[in-house]
Amino acid sequence: MGTAQTMQPGFLSIRSLTKRYDTMVAVDTLTLEIPKGELVAFLGPSGCGKSTSLRMIAGLCPVTSGTISIDGKDVTRLAPYRRDIGLVFQSYALFPHMTVLKNVMFGLEMRKVPVAEAERRAREAIALVRLEGREDRKPAQLSGGQQQRVALARALVIQPSILLFDEPLSNLDAKLRDEMRAEIRRIQKRLGITSIFVTHDQVEALSMCDKVAVLNGGRLEQIGTPGDLYERPATAFVASFVGRTNRLSGVAEGDRISVGGAALRAPGSRRGNVDLMVRPHRMIMTPAGDKGPDFDGEPLNSIGGEIRDVYYAGDILNYEIQAGDQIISVERATTGGETPMASGSPVTLTWRVADTLVFGAGQ
Amino acid sequence: MEDRPVSPALKIAAFVMFAFLLAPVLLVVPISFSADSYMSFPPSGWSLRWYIELMDNSRMIGALGTSTLLAVIVMVLAMVIALPAAYAIVRMRVIGGEALLALFTAPLLLPTIVLGLAILIVFAGAGLLATFPGLVIAHLIIVLPYALRVLTTSLSGLPIIMEEAASTLGASPLTVFRRITLPMMMPGMVATAALSFLVSFDEAVISLFLTGPRITTLPVALYQHVENQADPLVAAVSVLLIVLTLAVVLIVDRTAGLTKTFVK
Repeated sequence: MGTAQTMQPGFLSIRSLTKRYDTMVAVDTLTLEIPKGELVAFLGPSGCGKSTSLRMIAGLCPVTSGTISIDGKDVTRLAPYRRDIGLVFQSYALFPHMTVLKNVMFGLEMRKVPVAEAERRAREAIALVRLEGREDRKPAQLSGGQQQRVALARALVIQPSILLFDEPLSNLDAKLRDEMRAEIRRIQKRLGITSIFVTHDQVEALSMCDKVAVLNGGRLEQIGTPGDLYERPATAFVASFVGRTNRLSGVAEGDRISVGGAALRAPGSRRGNVDLMVRPHRMIMTPAGDKGPDFDGEPLNSIGGEIRDVYYAGDILNYEIQAGDQIISVERATTGGETPMASGSPVTLTWRVADTLVFGAGQ
Repeated sequence: MEDRPVSPALKIAAFVMFAFLLAPVLLVVPISFSADSYMSFPPSGWSLRWYIELMDNSRMIGALGTSTLLAVIVMVLAMVIALPAAYAIVRMRVIGGEALLALFTAPLLLPTIVLGLAILIVFAGAGLLATFPGLVIAHLIIVLPYALRVLTTSLSGLPIIMEEAASTLGASPLTVFRRITLPMMMPGMVATAALSFLVSFDEAVISLFLTGPRITTLPVALYQHVENQADPLVAAVSVLLIVLTLAVVLIVDRTAGLTKTFVK
């Protein structure tokens, strides 16, 4: 479903967008369509080109080739101040010599909105980010979280056609980050502004956004709903970057894959060396010889091994299992009162064939 | 800003340094109130005699006027030239910007006496010797490197994201410069103005080459006066200069903050 939607021309349409520096390609033929009102995350490790893409959309970084259009209008070569885009920066970028109110009014002033109306709208935006009463403060008198709210109000008040976020929460502490995530999502939904949210934090991307575009090495690996990415990753990179995963190497022959001594199965059919991935919490561990889970009669894979290490992390127990020459990580929710299984115990790991992801080796 | 305890040894060292630096100043003040006809310390009697003499000395007063006007004009011109230059070099990254900066600051490396001689030769041919425009041009050559250095440092210390934010909010490049860059550069600009004024006002070597009976600056007039007679008149002038310099520094401190302006 997610992939079908992305084929239609979107409100923001990016075609073959490329940014080349002297010797290095920062963004490589990025193509994607973002429908009106959606919040889309650009997710990837540092240096994957997500920020550069965002800066090209904002007009702050010249495009090498490709096009960007907003609502059917080509803006590829347009100066940033003619693009009607709101941008929220990682380090806030508030004007230090202006009060909160003046900061928020700046964009309206540039649009020649009459002062009285500009002030009314700015006060509304400040109320929207819950900073009433701080209109006359200077940015330096506010906390990091408050400054980022001002930056958000400043970007929102101009009612931009696209709102861009460049890792806006990275400078905030964990608790504030959670609050701000919810706040940004609440406001974005309420105003229905088409938005892009750049982050390297997968939890942020999955929990906040309608869709997530995973970038790696300047290329788009996959775009889809959080569920698509997690359950049906298109590439080995997406599978390992989004969520935790076990990677086993094996040799495929049709739908049969031999991993070490074990014969496993996977959806689809392929041939040759493959990487096989399974999420740690989708594997059920039972003492060797015990009857394993039956998953309502679904086809299952199982592999035998021996517990090598146990880590206690409060909400979960993390077991490391040696299976042949491979190490597999398995998670179990703690229930309280149980005794963790001891290192050295022989165990069997069981999981659904449907939870087995297979990719060409070295992909 | 940082409150770290200062060791007594450091305090003593600082005191000795300041005493060394300020000794001439402290000496000059009592001498200026001397009643003697020649410079001596301590003076045998006290009076305002030399301040009154100074007021009556049309050559000194004329030179003071010339120096002040010259310093103000040089300050304004330095700002008008160095500000766009700094912007072009730092923000627009014009091709060869670094080379330009090196070229602009080259006069700093040249011995002033060599520079003075060179200017003398050029100006003699151009008829600029002992003229006010000639002095303005010569002082600009000395002052511009300082102005450009301070302004480029100030500008490159400013994070560019505020300017980027303003441009995404709809501000044209000129508006961004006027509304965001310029106010944020204020401390650097005050420092540049003060430094330009003081460097021009204080400049003696090159002025010596370029002044004559028709026009002279205060440092040159002072120098020539001391050459002829050793009366406490120069002490009175010096005290006036100290007061003037102090006033400039105080203005900088009140408007932009001294440490913020010169230290950072």
